[in-house]
Amino acid sequence: MKPDLKLILSVSSPLLLLIVWQAVTAFKLFPPEVLVSPTAVVAAFGEVIATGELQRHLSESLTRLAGGFTTGASLGLLFGLALALSKTVEQVFGPTFQALRQIPVLAFIPMLILLLGIDEVFKIVIIAKAAFFPVALAAYDSVKGVPKSYFEVSSLYRAPWWVLISKILIPATIPNILAGVRLSLTRSWLVLVAAELIVADSGLGQMMEMGRQMFRLDIVMVGVIVAGVIGFGLDRLFQLLQAHALRWKTA
Amino acid sequence: MTLKTLNLNAFKPVWLLGLIPPVLFLLWWDHEAAKGGANALAFVSLAQVGQALIDMFSSGELALSYGSSLGRALSGLLIGGGIGTLVGIAMGLSKPVEWAASPIYNSFRQVPILGWLPLIGLWFGSGDLSKLIIVALSAFYPTVLYTFEGLKQVEARLLDVGRVYRLNGWQTFWRIQWPAALPSIFTGLFQALAFTWISTIGVELLFSSGAGLGAMMQQAQLQARLDIVLVCILFVGLTGFAINFLIKRLSQHVLSWRSVRA
Amino acid sequence: MDYVPHSQIPGHKVKQTGAVSLKGIKKQFNFKDRELKVLSEFSLDVQPGEFVSIVGPSGCGKSTLLRLIAGLDDTYDGTITLDGQRVAGTSLERGLVFQDHRLFPWMTLEDNIALALTNRQISKDAKAKLVADHIALVGLKGFEKAFPHQLSGGMAQRAAIARSLVNEPKVLLLDEPFGALDALTRVHLQGELQRIWLAQGSTMIMITHDVEEALYLGDRVVVMQANPGRITHTVDVNLPHPRDRASPVLHRLKDEILAELTNVPEAPNSVVRLIKGDDQ
Ligand SMILES: Nc1ncnc2c1ncn2[C@@H]1O[C@H](COP(=O)(O)OP(=O)(O)O)[C@@H](O)[C@H]1O
Ligand SMILES: [Mg+2]
Repeated sequence: MKPDLKLILSVSSPLLLLIVWQAVTAFKLFPPEVLVSPTAVVAAFGEVIATGELQRHLSESLTRLAGGFTTGASLGLLFGLALALSKTVEQVFGPTFQALRQIPVLAFIPMLILLLGIDEVFKIVIIAKAAFFPVALAAYDSVKGVPKSYFEVSSLYRAPWWVLISKILIPATIPNILAGVRLSLTRSWLVLVAAELIVADSGLGQMMEMGRQMFRLDIVMVGVIVAGVIGFGLDRLFQLLQAHALRWKTA
Repeated sequence: MTLKTLNLNAFKPVWLLGLIPPVLFLLWWDHEAAKGGANALAFVSLAQVGQALIDMFSSGELALSYGSSLGRALSGLLIGGGIGTLVGIAMGLSKPVEWAASPIYNSFRQVPILGWLPLIGLWFGSGDLSKLIIVALSAFYPTVLYTFEGLKQVEARLLDVGRVYRLNGWQTFWRIQWPAALPSIFTGLFQALAFTWISTIGVELLFSSGAGLGAMMQQAQLQARLDIVLVCILFVGLTGFAINFLIKRLSQHVLSWRSVRA
Repeated sequence: MDYVPHSQIPGHKVKQTGAVSLKGIKKQFNFKDRELKVLSEFSLDVQPGEFVSIVGPSGCGKSTLLRLIAGLDDTYDGTITLDGQRVAGTSLERGLVFQDHRLFPWMTLEDNIALALTNRQISKDAKAKLVADHIALVGLKGFEKAFPHQLSGGMAQRAAIARSLVNEPKVLLLDEPFGALDALTRVHLQGELQRIWLAQGSTMIMITHDVEEALYLGDRVVVMQANPGRITHTVDVNLPHPRDRASPVLHRLKDEILAELTNVPEAPNSVVRLIKGDDQ
């Protein structure tokens, strides 16, 4: 068997990057405020874990994320469903919803700081807002997208409303809604990191911002990597949940 | 029955219903602002917001900030989108490049875009260069992905035609692969456009020295000038709206031959 | 063999080149660790300027065979020659018309046809003239600037034929060129193809699942069977071109071929599929 070029290349390219990085720092091509070695980053990682700093920041960030995301996503789900199912709700709230959706969440940060201060409430609200819109939109779109013929079939068989919901509405809409929830989770994480960087009083974002102000490149890099790993991990976790919830689809 | 509904709608335009929430909200807002007291700092009257808009407009401050943000977003799109398209092409045309580049691309992409800012700030300072790098990066990711996917999905049946007429590598790329991938590439660019606007506001909020709508908002926040903040939000939102509208229109146009079978 | 060479058919322009010879072709696909024998000991000699029709059930390897002759696939055993020269890779001497027209939706009809001339070492003017001539040949004058989605299925297929003829190939390979068209357009295009063939005189090898079409156009009809793909029968059609569809000879031959195709103990389903024509 010939060697698997794909495997070799996809393993060696990140490795090569690491080696070059280490080599560049070993030859001191840049001062340490500009580039620290991978091993220094690992050491900094050990340091922030040993002092408990990382765990503290991370647990603050994740608690916030959990609170904001759950609130925003569930409100978004309810709102999206109401918007799709009731003509009146759609006529009254639809235009406002569509207009607010166009404004990047980040743009609300200064206003919310002025109205709510920089405490926990502000952070939860901004994350909730980030989580709200993708879920609401997905719920609205997917319920609206259920073909009329499905409902006609069920009325033909005189199905009661709970059958309509459990046998038609939920199976037909859940895949798209879950996709919206997944997007809103990613967005929430992005907005949380941004908000923590701006306000910089606690959490992973603050750790990075402090690192920057103290020229601790190693700590900043630890922050970047942790932010990436958490973002990836959350998305993966949700993907698994999604696959689990949708296993009837492939069966 | 149909006639009746029609008449009803003619006399009661339904779109007016959509004005209820914003109008109620504004009335409540003005009421809170008029109450003064504990809330006086935060709530500003609509008249004040209007005045701020006029002031910012006439002093040229608004135009300067807006122009600077828009310029940042567009240059980020140009740079990030340009490099992204080239990288996407390299990955889409060469399997070894794909294999070597995708693990790196995929791991870098996991970091929330604004999370790069402290690091970039250490390297390049908190000025325009750092901001541009982040904005360009936000355009880079979707263009790489969609260019790559677009090229990967060019059907073998179309490539066979090129082989029958003995097109060389360059001719095959330029006459077949590139146009076939173009709808996908445009989709990526559209997404990049939306992303650059968001990340522009984000970087300006974080590195709030210099011009820009985000910087203006952040500075106004420090001075507790909600009126200015609101004017900025209005313009950020209107631009977001315009971008989405533009994207919708352009994609209908650009994607029109996707529905046509080759 | 009482085959009358096409050169004796009145009104036919004869070329001395375009002899295709297939000797002992064996082709298999390795599919999920399984070997799928598609063609076995397939041999066929086609005279210069001859029109050979190939009919056979779905999946018997007809498209595969054409791809081998076109040079799109080089992994097979046996030899394929054109005028005594072994074929290797694609060549402008061997044109190919696919079942779906495969015009590029982003190019005008004119550009689609000109694409075929990309690597011909002739002047720009000569290219433009060739393109214009071939558009006229297939009766699409006036549609030069049209995009494929503005053409009907029949027009698009004509454009595809023009594209494959514009290089004046020695042999034209046609893979169910009219398979996707409605019956009326089909009859019309069969007539057109016959006219073009008579005018151009290049060798043609056409695959079809329509026995009537095969007989109406072909000097010879080759009948294939599946598993593995091989020739079971060859029918010579000794009638002058252009032909009369109502000819009793054609009807007799058609019955003969259909009987042959229905009489296959090892593949009872093939005829049903053949008649339904779902050869995709
Ligand atoms: N690229 C391929 N890989 C594997 N099997 C193939 C491939 N192309 C064709 N086949 C198989 O070879 C057989 C003959 O295919 P084809 O030549 O398309 O038949 P026909 O054109 O006569 O309908 C079929 O069983 C088909 O599934
Ligand atoms: Mg076929």
